[in-house]
Amino acid sequence: MSVESFGDWLYATPISTTFRETVWIIPTVQSIHILAIAVIVGSALVSELRLAGILATDQAPAGIVRRYLPRIWGALVVLLITGLVLVVAEPARTINNTVFWIKMGIVSSAFLLTLIVRKPLLVAADDTDLAVNAKPVAWLFLLMWTAVIFCGRFIAYT
Amino acid sequence: MTLELTLQQIYDSPISAAIRENTNAFPIIETFHVIAITAVLGTIMIVDLRLLGFTSHRRGANRLIAELLPYTWVAFALAVVSGGLLFVSNAPAYAANVEFQLKLVAIAAAGINMLIFHGTAYRRIADWDTDTPPPTSVKVSGVISLILWVTVIFLGRWIGFTLDVLF
Repeated sequence: MSVESFGDWLYATPISTTFRETVWIIPTVQSIHILAIAVIVGSALVSELRLAGILATDQAPAGIVRRYLPRIWGALVVLLITGLVLVVAEPARTINNTVFWIKMGIVSSAFLLTLIVRKPLLVAADDTDLAVNAKPVAWLFLLMWTAVIFCGRFIAYT
Repeated sequence: MTLELTLQQIYDSPISAAIRENTNAFPIIETFHVIAITAVLGTIMIVDLRLLGFTSHRRGANRLIAELLPYTWVAFALAVVSGGLLFVSNAPAYAANVEFQLKLVAIAAAGINMLIFHGTAYRRIADWDTDTPPPTSVKVSGVISLILWVTVIFLGRWIGFTLDVLF
């Protein structure tokens, strides 16, 4: 089954039709999606600016990550669920769209990178436990989340 | 009549036409708007949650507010500029849109809520800086701010579905 025919099949399902034809569902789910992105942007901004050595440098990175990482995980779950509803509602707009897959690629990379370089910080005692490339990686995270927003908005126009 | 004329003049301006005629201009400005509002809400949420008693990376509310507010303001300025450009691209349609009007009211209400907070509870912040939970008046400011900003996001998204585009 090709991506296109899967999209056509999904489009024809009753649940997809319901999501599309109930006028408030798509705008509501999109609004919740943006709220969850706001949680990530706020949490990532504070955490990554700390790790970049700009914000709250008197606080240990472990403490910052311990506060904000659970919020990022929670928001990612909400993004996944609301995003799934939007894909089911409008399969052609998403799974047939290159920008959508670029977005998924960046989100997956950010997720994996968080597991690899941020989660271990939960047990780090102080700055000396930071990886050597902590600062560039911090900026990379902020760049990735910005790119995710960029792709997200452009899905609607491509 | 005067307002209609002004809106039409904005619509007829070169910058308005440029945004309408350049295919990528609107989505790019919109992307900056989304980045800005998520940064505004993301940072305000951290402060509002603290006003409700949920601590973040600092125990003291005063230090947290002083630390995050500059970021909120920069993001808010970007939201106003990008939002202003989106408005300019089709001023009469936005002005006539109920969700857009309500969004401006909600932003104004959030501003008033912030002014009241700064004029009252914030003046006595030394008394409750490290209290969790903080006094009720502080919690009320935090709840109102959260509700209003979430409302702003919902209304903003709704504009995209209700705007009468006159391209």
